[in-house]
Amino acid sequence: MASYQTVPCVNINDEFVDVVSIDVKPGQYVNSGDIVATVETDKSMIDVVAEQDGYVLRIDAIEKEKARVGSVLFWLGESADEPIPDQKQESVAPDGISLQPTAKARALLKKLGLDSAGIPASGDRLSVADIEAWLARSGKSITPAAGATPVARQEQMPAVNGELVALSSEAAGMLHAVSWHRDHAAAGYIEMEYDPKPWEDYAAAYAAEHKLMLSPLLPLMAFRLAQLGRERPAINSTIVNGQRYQYQPVNLGFTVQAGTMLYLTVVRDTQDMDTAQFISALGEIQRHAMGHKLPPQEASGATLSFSSMARWNVSRHIPILPPQTSLIVAHAAPKNAGHAVLAASYDHRVLTGFDVAQVLQALSQPPK
Amino acid sequence: MEISQQSNDQALLAWARDDNGKPQIALDPESIYRYGHLIRLTEQLVLDQFSRGLVSGTTHTCIGQELAALSVVRALNHPDDAVLSNHRNHGHFLTYSGEFVGLVAEIMGREAGACGGWGGSQHLVHRHFHSNGVQGGMLGIGAGLALARKLHNSGGIVAAIIGDGTLGQGLVYEAMNLASVWNAPLLVVVENNGIAQTTVSSHTLGGDIEARGTAFGLPTWRLADDDPEFLVKVDEVVKTVRGRHSPGFLVIDTRRMGPHSKGDDLRDPDELEQIRKRDPLAALGRLLPEDVRNTIELNNRQFIEAVRQAADASPEATLSETPAHIFDLPLPATNLAAVDVPPGSNVRQAINSALRHLLGSDKRILVIGEDLHDPYGGAFKVTQGLSTDFPGRVISTPISEAGITGAAIGLALDGYLPIVEIMFADFLTLCMDQLLNHAVKFPGMFPDVSVPLVIRTPCGGRRGYGPTHSQSPEHLFTAVPGLTVVYPSHRHDVAGLLSNAVQRWPYPALFLEHKLLYGEKLDSADYTAIPAADDVAVALFPTLRRGAGEPDVTLVAYGGMLPIAETVAQRLESEEELAVEIVAPALLSPLPRASMIGHLLERPIVVIVEESHHDFGVSAEIAAALLESGFSGQLVRIGTPPVPIASARSLEKSIIPDEQSIIAQILDLF
Repeated sequence: MASYQTVPCVNINDEFVDVVSIDVKPGQYVNSGDIVATVETDKSMIDVVAEQDGYVLRIDAIEKEKARVGSVLFWLGESADEPIPDQKQESVAPDGISLQPTAKARALLKKLGLDSAGIPASGDRLSVADIEAWLARSGKSITPAAGATPVARQEQMPAVNGELVALSSEAAGMLHAVSWHRDHAAAGYIEMEYDPKPWEDYAAAYAAEHKLMLSPLLPLMAFRLAQLGRERPAINSTIVNGQRYQYQPVNLGFTVQAGTMLYLTVVRDTQDMDTAQFISALGEIQRHAMGHKLPPQEASGATLSFSSMARWNVSRHIPILPPQTSLIVAHAAPKNAGHAVLAASYDHRVLTGFDVAQVLQALSQPPK
Repeated sequence: MEISQQSNDQALLAWARDDNGKPQIALDPESIYRYGHLIRLTEQLVLDQFSRGLVSGTTHTCIGQELAALSVVRALNHPDDAVLSNHRNHGHFLTYSGEFVGLVAEIMGREAGACGGWGGSQHLVHRHFHSNGVQGGMLGIGAGLALARKLHNSGGIVAAIIGDGTLGQGLVYEAMNLASVWNAPLLVVVENNGIAQTTVSSHTLGGDIEARGTAFGLPTWRLADDDPEFLVKVDEVVKTVRGRHSPGFLVIDTRRMGPHSKGDDLRDPDELEQIRKRDPLAALGRLLPEDVRNTIELNNRQFIEAVRQAADASPEATLSETPAHIFDLPLPATNLAAVDVPPGSNVRQAINSALRHLLGSDKRILVIGEDLHDPYGGAFKVTQGLSTDFPGRVISTPISEAGITGAAIGLALDGYLPIVEIMFADFLTLCMDQLLNHAVKFPGMFPDVSVPLVIRTPCGGRRGYGPTHSQSPEHLFTAVPGLTVVYPSHRHDVAGLLSNAVQRWPYPALFLEHKLLYGEKLDSADYTAIPAADDVAVALFPTLRRGAGEPDVTLVAYGGMLPIAETVAQRLESEEELAVEIVAPALLSPLPRASMIGHLLERPIVVIVEESHHDFGVSAEIAAALLESGFSGQLVRIGTPPVPIASARSLEKSIIPDEQSIIAQILDLF
């Protein structure tokens, strides 16, 4: 049966050692006493020797990195293809914590005034996603618990026969966005036609230079918008309690249609990215969206957004403002029209039509 | 102010001065009497001003000891000669500086004061003259000044003057030992007046005074100020010390005619009468023809009256603005090369590289501490190889933490850039008086005096070293006004920070190094610096951050706590779905308020994690600064409770915050 040898203790006060070298490879036969690795601490360096004969099955420690004293250094077996028994993952969490909802989930429950009982967990612990899914299934929206019990505004049931169907979490999110757009923003709309050729040439050149298979046109335009968000901070802000709230990061929202599902994916902290990093990050997030596996941080927190319906050959669309943002740019490129359209929904409490026209003007040309 | 220039009889009142303005007092009785009598009149003026309520604070006069006071200082005729004095310093100061109005106005707290009103009676500075108010506190500094003179082959010597009462202070002996070991020209002068404030010597002195000098191998002399040849003999002693360029110990028997301060003389009237009869200054006057003596005394009185008028006329010292701190801008980086740290270096190697770079680039830089020499290379091997490559500039010292700190202050005062290694940060308490009462006071009081001193020391626990070898005492030292406290981590450019502390920050600085970080590889990972804003020195010692832009939890951690905070952050993110940010300052004091506090202000939850005993500590200061700035989020402080740090690893683990205890306390918030 396979057996393992652990990282030795060099000094009673050192919990970790540096793995200086590993001198054997998986599959190699070693004799008891052969040097298999060298480890060191601040004070001394020692050779680790095999404690028995056998084939090296697997090496768990990594050369040039630290290893915890007592952890598995490598596995030995009587034959080179002996299976390694499954190691049970030891829970490092203290007792009592592991079965609670996650801290973030507890914060959300507290915020919503909910109890975790009755909300099913998909894993060992109740997560934020579990709560959001439950809310969506229950047709409940995420509204914070106020000091006093909120008074729910009840709509009358339609007179025609039918039944209530819970919204998916995505549909609930869309409802929330549309409600914010209607109830909070002073939404305006502006559009302008532009010549798409310079952008198309620019994207083609970029694709050629970086050997990209897919056209990077839309990511490049989105990144240009993110850059404009840094240059013109007002478009990357919103209104909170009668004051303008200036976002520090530029988190770019980018709509992705995945099957029947519309996602507003979010590339966070674009201000720290260059073009290539942004295209790569957006590509990764798009893949998550297409697989319907968007983690919460890639589906929330947009501060400025871009939406293209060029794929569907529409000539115009008026997008909904994502909650607590002041601008979403809409892109349309009807086939054979010889022109394309850049448009924007914007929150007039933050921006004027002049501000938005300038942004669209700037966005209509690729970077010099 | 040069009163003598304005007097009616310039020929009698003006005295020759050397190129640095030091009065030149000849050894003839007339010259000595004239200056000694002036000192006495000045002291009487000070007491008179005090009785009129015109003195700011307290004063200690040397009436009766004038000849002892002027004897050694008078004989110091080299431009580099230095004097370190004590609370009873007026006679020394006047003999060194000739600044009569400066002294009286200083004691009165006037603008014309020699130190602008900062020093008063006890804390005076004039060229190489320094006095301070802690008994014996200047002796280590004296050893350093003497070593500096030896290192640059100056003919100057250092006279450190104490009273016999100060022979009870341990630092005196550390300094005498250092001077002896270094064979540095420090003349320790004991003005033995037989009384310590109000306590007679029989209650304060064990054994023999002279034996104290000979025990350290110092040439030792004992003279009395009523000996007719006293001044000549002292002159010979000074010449001998200068000639040998080595230390010496001089005991001067003298008697104090006045009280310790003002009204605290409890001695027997008969004893006082004996002292008055002995008065060596009066005896010297009696040697002069009566008309000569009378003329001297008349002129001196006129002179002192002019001093009084000038001091009275000077307005009260004022500040246009109360200073917020003692610091000026950092020195420019012009012509300073960056440290070349080999890739893959750990913190120990990076500090070693920085020390090597500094020693190689600036002759003023010295490294001082215990057991630094090769092949040992320091208790944590940080100085390995340096004593071999820089002989004479990496100095292994006796076990004298206070003494070597004082010596480093002396070296710094003399233009060197000393780097002191204290073997364990726990021992810094032995250096505290030198830092709190000396190092930070000089640049704070005297704008022309800088003390570019760096003290490096390993700190922190988790190695089972026990209660006195495991502490993180930064909280004690951030509380020292004017002391810069830097505590970097492996995420910081440790070598660059140390170079900045040594080369660009001419103030006393404490540079803390966690023992467990020595083996950590330098790696800035994805940390970025928080913009420096208007904070003092933070551009030299930046605050780093990493992690979520809109965090649920912000961990503030520094030094050895940072790797633990990183593990905590990683687990909170993966196990608890929390967005976590880490803020890692390197500069603890002065606290980077505008930048770091400004950054934390809008965070919903701030958790400050520190390894030190955190009551009244760094986290408390950060918390207070946040509250003062309008912070409305939740705040948690996690640190070591106010108990000793046990040796047993199992006990130590439960006392110093670790990953589990930090996570548990954070999760309590949710």
